[in-house]
Formats: sequence, C-alpha cells, structure tokens
Amino acid sequence: MLKIENLTKTYGEKKAVDNLNLHIKPGEIYGFIGHNGAGKTTTLKSVVGILQFDEGEILIDGKSVRTAPLECKRDIAYIPDNPDLYDFMTGIKYLNFIADIFKVSASDRQERIRKYADLFELTEDLAQSIAAYSHGMKQKLAIIAAWLHQPKFIIMDEPFVGLDPKASHLLKGMMREVCDGGGAIFFSTHVLEVAEKLCDKVAIIKGGRLVRSGTMEEVKGDDSLEEVFLELEGESC
Amino acid sequence: MLKILLKKQMTEIFRGYFYDAKKNKSRSKAGTVAYMVLFLGIMVGLLGGMFTYLSLAICGALTAAGMDWLYFALMGLLAVLLGVFGSVFNTYSCLYLSKDNDLLLSMPIPVNVIMASRLLTVYLMGLMYSLVVILPAVIVYWVTASVSAGVILGGLLIILLISVFVLTLSCALGWVVAKISLKLKNKSFITVVVSLAFIGGYYFVYFKAQSMIQDLLANAAVYGEKIKGAAYPLYLFGRVGSGDAYAVLTVSAVVIALFALMWMLISRSFLKIATSSGHTAKKEYKETAVKQKGIAAALLTKEFGRFTASPNYMLNCGLGILLLPICGVLILWQGSAVISVLNEVFGGRAGCIPVLLCAAVCMLASMNDMAAPSVSLEGKSLWLLQSLPVTPWQVLRAKLGMQLILTEIPVLFCTVCIAFIYPFTPIELLLTVLVPMSYVLFSALFGLFLGLKMPNLNWTSEITPIKQSAPVTIALFSGFGYTALLCLGFMLLNGWKLGFAGYMSLFGALTLALCGLLWFWLRNKGCSRFASL
Repeated sequence: MLKIENLTKTYGEKKAVDNLNLHIKPGEIYGFIGHNGAGKTTTLKSVVGILQFDEGEILIDGKSVRTAPLECKRDIAYIPDNPDLYDFMTGIKYLNFIADIFKVSASDRQERIRKYADLFELTEDLAQSIAAYSHGMKQKLAIIAAWLHQPKFIIMDEPFVGLDPKASHLLKGMMREVCDGGGAIFFSTHVLEVAEKLCDKVAIIKGGRLVRSGTMEEVKGDDSLEEVFLELEGESC
Repeated sequence: MLKILLKKQMTEIFRGYFYDAKKNKSRSKAGTVAYMVLFLGIMVGLLGGMFTYLSLAICGALTAAGMDWLYFALMGLLAVLLGVFGSVFNTYSCLYLSKDNDLLLSMPIPVNVIMASRLLTVYLMGLMYSLVVILPAVIVYWVTASVSAGVILGGLLIILLISVFVLTLSCALGWVVAKISLKLKNKSFITVVVSLAFIGGYYFVYFKAQSMIQDLLANAAVYGEKIKGAAYPLYLFGRVGSGDAYAVLTVSAVVIALFALMWMLISRSFLKIATSSGHTAKKEYKETAVKQKGIAAALLTKEFGRFTASPNYMLNCGLGILLLPICGVLILWQGSAVISVLNEVFGGRAGCIPVLLCAAVCMLASMNDMAAPSVSLEGKSLWLLQSLPVTPWQVLRAKLGMQLILTEIPVLFCTVCIAFIYPFTPIELLLTVLVPMSYVLFSALFGLFLGLKMPNLNWTSEITPIKQSAPVTIALFSGFGYTALLCLGFMLLNGWKLGFAGYMSLFGALTLALCGLLWFWLRNKGCSRFASL
C-alpha cells in the first residue's frame, strides 16, 4: 500500500527526515512514534504530497507521489494534527465540498454523512459554521470528511487529540474496519498505550532516522512499548 | 508588558517589509528599503500629491483673507474623514477578532494592555490616512503664511490631535459594529450594507465638500463669520493650526476627554465582545437533496463562499461589483449631460470621449482585486488544497474565475449602459467592450501573480492579507496606473494620432500580450510556487 524508499527532506541545513524506508501492506494499522520534532509530521506530509521531498521515492499502491500526485491523492485521506478547516463554511458545506472534490455521488455522500455524523453525534451541528466548532468537533468533522470517499489508505497525524473517549473508541473501530476491508492506516501518536493496543506494526523515528520498525512483538519484545521508546530515547542522552 | 505587545503588533504590521514569507527568511536591507520606498511613493506621491495640490489651491486665498482657521478647519475635516474612512473598516477585526486573542487573554497580561496594543494598529492606520492630508496642509501653510514658534507648534499639535480624534471615532464606530454584529444572523451582508451606507455618506459629504470649498473661497468672509457663529468648535479647531493658545488648550482638552470616554467604553466591553461567540440561535440541520458538483464548480463555490463570508474581503476587494452598476445607472440617468460636458471640453479631438469612458470603466473595475489576497487567505487551511486531488492550476483558476465573474458582468452592464447614451460606431463599441474586458483579465492575472509572489499565510487577522498586504496595494494602484496610462497615452503621448480604433486596438493587444505572459507564468512557475507554499 505504501512504500517509502530512502526518503530525505531537509529544511535549510537541517535534515528533518534522513534516508527513511518504510513499507506498509494492505490490512495493516501502522503506528508512527517519535518525540516532538523527530520528523513524523514531515514524513506524513511528504506521503500526502503536501511537502516536496529532496531525495527518495514514495509509492502509494505502486504509484509515485512525485510523478502521479493526483492518482495517489484520490486513493488516500489525510487528517492533520491541527484540523484547520474552512471556518467560513458550515459543517455540511465542508463535507459536500470534500465529496465534490472526490466525486462522491449525491446518494453515497448522503448515506455516509448520515452514518458518520450520527456515529460522532455531529448531525445537529452540521448547519453551524465551522468557526463555531470546538477543536474536538473540528476533529470529528475532519474524520467524517476523510471517510467520505472510502479511501484505501488513511494517513493521520495525532488523530486522537481533542476527541472525547467515545469518539476515540469509534475511530479505533473505524480504523480496524478500513484495514479489515483491505485498506491500511498510517498514523502518528504520542499515546503509546493506544499504539500498543491498536497497531499491527510500529515505527520509531528519532532525529529523522528510523531507529526501529516491525510488528509490535518485534519492536517491543517482552517489554512495554513505552519502555522500548524511552530506552531508545535514552540512548541519545 | 505593553512594550512587548506593541513590539509584537508592530512586527505583525510591518512584517511584510522585513520578512520574505516565500523564502522563509528575512529580507535583505535593500529589499526592505525598496518595499518601504514603494509604499511611501504610493502614499506620498499619489495621495499626498493630490492633497498638496488642494492645499496650494486654497491656502493662499484663505490666509490672505485672514481666514487661516478656515483653511485648517477644512483640511482638518478632510483629514478626519479620510482617516476614519481608512481605518474604520478594520477597527472591529483588529480590536476584537484577532486570532491571538485567546492566547493573550490566557497570559498574565492586563486586558487594558492587550487593548492598547490592538489600538496601536487602528491608530497607525488612521494616522497614515489622515497624515496624507494634514501634513501637506501644514507644510503648505508654513511655506505660504508666516512661520513662528507658535505656528509650528500649532501645526504639529493639529496633526497629533487629528490622529487621536480619528482613533476615537474609528473605535467608537468599531464598537457599534461589534455590538450590532453580535446579534445579527447575516452578519457579513449586513456589515457590508451598513459599511456601504457609510461609504455613500462619505462620498456625498466628500463631493459636497468640494463644491462647498469652491463656494467658500468665493465668499470666505461671509461663510467664515457664519461658521464661527454656528459651529464654534470647528472655528476653534481651525485656530489650533495657526497656534492660538486658547484654541490649543480647549481642543486638546476636548480631544483627550473624548479619547478617555472612548477608552472607558471599549475597556468595559472589550473582554465580553472579544470572547463572545454571538447570541444568535443555533441553526437546525435538515438533510436536503444535494447535487454533485464537478471539481471546478466546487472550488469556485468555495472561493465565492470565502468572499461572501467576510465583510472585510467584500468591502476592500469588491467595491467595483457595486460601483460599476451604479455608474451604469447614473450614466443612463444623467449620461447625456455628462457627455455634453465632455463634448465641450474634449469634443475637438476625435476619440477622446470613448477613451475616457473606457478608462472610467477600467478605473471602476480596478476596485475589484479579490484575486490578490486569495492565496494568502488560505492561511493555515492551505493543507487542504495541497492534500486534495486537485491540481494547483485548478485552484488558481477558481481564484481567477471568481474575480472574472464578479467583474466582467458588472463591466459589461456598465458598458451597455454607456452604449445607450453615447453614439458609438460599431468598431468603437466593440473596442469599448473588449479593452475593459481585457483589462479585467489582466487585473485578475496580475493580482494572482502578486498573491503568489508575496504570500503571507501566517496572519492572525484576515485584515493583514486583505488590506495591509503588498499584493492588494500594488494591485489597486496598478489599476489606477493602467487607467491613467490609457488616458495620458491618448491625450498627451500622441496616441490620438493613431485614432481611437488604432490606439485602443494597440492598447488592448498590449494588455492581452501581458495577460499571455502572466497566464504562462501562472500555469508554470505559479503552480509550482503554490504547490510548494
């Protein structure tokens, strides 16, 4: 589903991501962890096509993000760490806008909006301006929008931040559903307990370099993910 | 604390001069100086020049008649009007809607300090506009009349007092707008309607003032006595400029008292208004049938949504939408009289009047520059367009499309109205339609080009990209420049020798050639630039 090969991205003199390699197969929930500034968001934004990278290659379902960005973007959905949506739109207008861009038919979108908005208890607020939404409501709206075109591959940056426990639980279920249907999820998180319980595979990034990756068992062994992560962090101190 | 916030505020206001958002680094000293010189050139050269000319025209006559106070009263009133006009539209946003309100209010900063730092932006905006009137007026007076220490002090004081009075008036009006907007449902449109009424009133007074000035010059002594009797505060206000000690003390006391009142008014309600989300009833969601739109239509609808959601955007970048049809209707109503006056003045030179009419339409069309700030207005939600399956060109085309639709239709309406009044030949009519149309295309392309060249995605108040940005200023003044060139080229630079058809064809062709260049740049470099923002 996703193949990252020798990805390198620099900001001026600083290498934000350094020769990163990662492979995500269909059906996998892949967690991406690392301290602040480790290069997680830069990697995710490069995968989505927001950032242009310096070296390497990113393939989504065999298609290059660099040479066929639109084809790649049609298959994916992205939820950023801070859902800065269009404040001037109402929730429903935003969802319809996203559905139009992804060419979701009128009947399909209505059915999906109804389903997900009800699940996240956002239906009553859909006529409100997004400017009046709380952070959690914006996050829920971004999630509904991401699921509207039934993407094969979903990339999320800290998706659980701002969500209430019920919405977090729902999201975890939806993530698993996508993977059970042959899709894949790649998400970053600082909540290691969530990663440990939810992910099939995990990658730890430090200073732009991938320091460990693989199945949860391969990465943590008999320890907890937190212990492994802190141990790896400690190695640099 | 205040010093820190003022520094932050100043950094935000003048950020564009020192920081290149595109390269994410500070500008070179030469770049900063060039930007400042350009801005000063526009403000001092164009606006300042206009008011210097006006001051020169009336100062001599009034001072010779011993009506120095009337001169300062008139110029002072103009300065106040322009200052308030220039700053009132962003007072509400600057004071209450800044995005860092929550951040600052969560810090151990007294509310009054936050308020004072916000007022600085309003003050500077008002000062800038009032200064282009009152500074030339004071200097012209110093040159024309006798100069003494009292006169110099009076001149400096009148500048200061006007700037404080403008701040007071702008804030009071901003407070009224805030109070009203908290209780309105269709805030954007009502704010626009109220603001337009204000603009209408402003221009009514402005044009009346012009004829009044002429009348006053002819009957200065009579009117002077009348004003002194009926509007004594205005008399005192005028006396400040000539250094009258009693007037200086009285007017200063009144201005300070009014400012203190305004401060009390704002400080009592600042926190409530700045943190209020309004009291309008929650809209109930009802599922309705939707129609699937294509990508281009969806992006265009999004641009229209952005435009109509913001009174600031509509007022600052879309006045032409209203002015062009109004002008068209006025032409239908009073056009014959205007044409006969133009015939008397320019009738001797063939083609002059159609050129002037074309230039007038272009001038009004140049009031629409919504493409210029549209890239910056994406702000922090730019990630959406970059992550969605749309090409940069589709996005840019939607931005161009909005300006073209909102300008071409009013331009066409206005031109049709003119065609009813002026006896164009078929070729004249064709060119009168085509040249303004090509200009509209040029202005949209040029505005977008500027927006991509000088983007600012890190604003805290939308006023920054809409009103205080280089792309908007340059786009607006380049429109004026184009219009001036169209007229001057024909009348002064021998364009008339080519005849109307030849001259306008050449001008239109050059405009279209420029459009071609800009189009090519936008399709290639512009798209890459947008993708890498």
